[in-house]
Amino acid sequence: MKLAEGMELIARDWIVKPQGFRVKFQQMINGELVTGYSPSLEENWLDSDVTTWRYAWKLAMASASDDNRPVEGSLVNITVVDDKDRSVNYYVTGRPQVFNAFCAKSF
Amino acid sequence: MGDQLSRFQHLGQLMQTNGLDMISSLLILIVGLILTKWVVKKIRILLNRFIKNTTTVSVAANSTGVVLLGLVITASAMGVGVTPGPLVTLMMIVVLIAVGVILVFRPLIPTLPFKVGDYVKVGTLLGKVEATTVLNTRLRTFDGKTFFVPNRQILDDIVINYHYTKTRRVKIDVTLRYDQDLIKAKRVLEAVMIEDARVLPKPNPQVYVLELGSNGVRLGGRCCVNNLKFWVTKCDLLEKTKVRFDRENIEFAHHQLDINYKRIQKETAEDMIEPMPGE
Repeated sequence: MKLAEGMELIARDWIVKPQGFRVKFQQMINGELVTGYSPSLEENWLDSDVTTWRYAWKLAMASASDDNRPVEGSLVNITVVDDKDRSVNYYVTGRPQVFNAFCAKSF
Repeated sequence: MGDQLSRFQHLGQLMQTNGLDMISSLLILIVGLILTKWVVKKIRILLNRFIKNTTTVSVAANSTGVVLLGLVITASAMGVGVTPGPLVTLMMIVVLIAVGVILVFRPLIPTLPFKVGDYVKVGTLLGKVEATTVLNTRLRTFDGKTFFVPNRQILDDIVINYHYTKTRRVKIDVTLRYDQDLIKAKRVLEAVMIEDARVLPKPNPQVYVLELGSNGVRLGGRCCVNNLKFWVTKCDLLEKTKVRFDRENIEFAHHQLDINYKRIQKETAEDMIEPMPGE
């Protein structure tokens, strides 16, 4: 295997670089959980996963409720996804992370 | 005295016959210049919405301004009875001479090594170029201060223009304790850089052992990022390195000072003291 081929293999199978990141959440609208993204799909991605996780945490803090049940308009199941809508591992723990988790099976 | 009187009389006659035309011509010139400036400003705003390249926008807006200026001068001159043919010829000659002079003396004309919108470092000032004039450059530093730097000072100083190259190298240097797993640390640091979306795949991110220092092994991570994303990427990589090393139980070295002391037996110490002469 030539060096270039080896580098290509590494780039293909290990270095999977997302184009960007979005916060994915569910919002209680008219009693139903509706999936949404921020920035919205019409806007540009955020290019930093660190920034996106920070943003997700802030959204979670803004929507947190005492009884852990979503009220109208509040955000639950907040996480970060990449450009292919795949869940991104939280860089601190190395595992998936969901803020304000409410009903994981429907997410 | 008589000569001056005859000149004033001639001027008076000229004002009587062509005064209205001259005033209207002057008005056309003034209004035309104001309108030209306004139109160029609006064109610049309009083009900025569609074209991101500021140089292209400036060239297009300024070219329109020059054409409009020529039209205003022609219209103004026609107001006092000058035929447009010779006037256009004269203007063309002036423009061609100006272009020729600029082309010939271009290498000798000092130019600023940046344009509006660039991030630069001039002397100790680091910031964004907001505007340039003939005399000075308006520079806004990242802490929000606005500096008016004389152009002669910029031309005499070393200037770093961060827009000149598209990529920039990020240095992530960490120091590990000697009892830590060096190879594991190298892998983790390399993975942190490789996995970040903003780190460019070419040239490959690399990790080197930079130094076997007094308090630990110094590792240096090197990777390239887009110049405009340098600062945030560097900060994010540092943060990720810290949390990832913590997760992998790799400990950083701290500045330390080892103090070694010998316990010497009392008898031995007394033996070591040589008696003074005469004792």
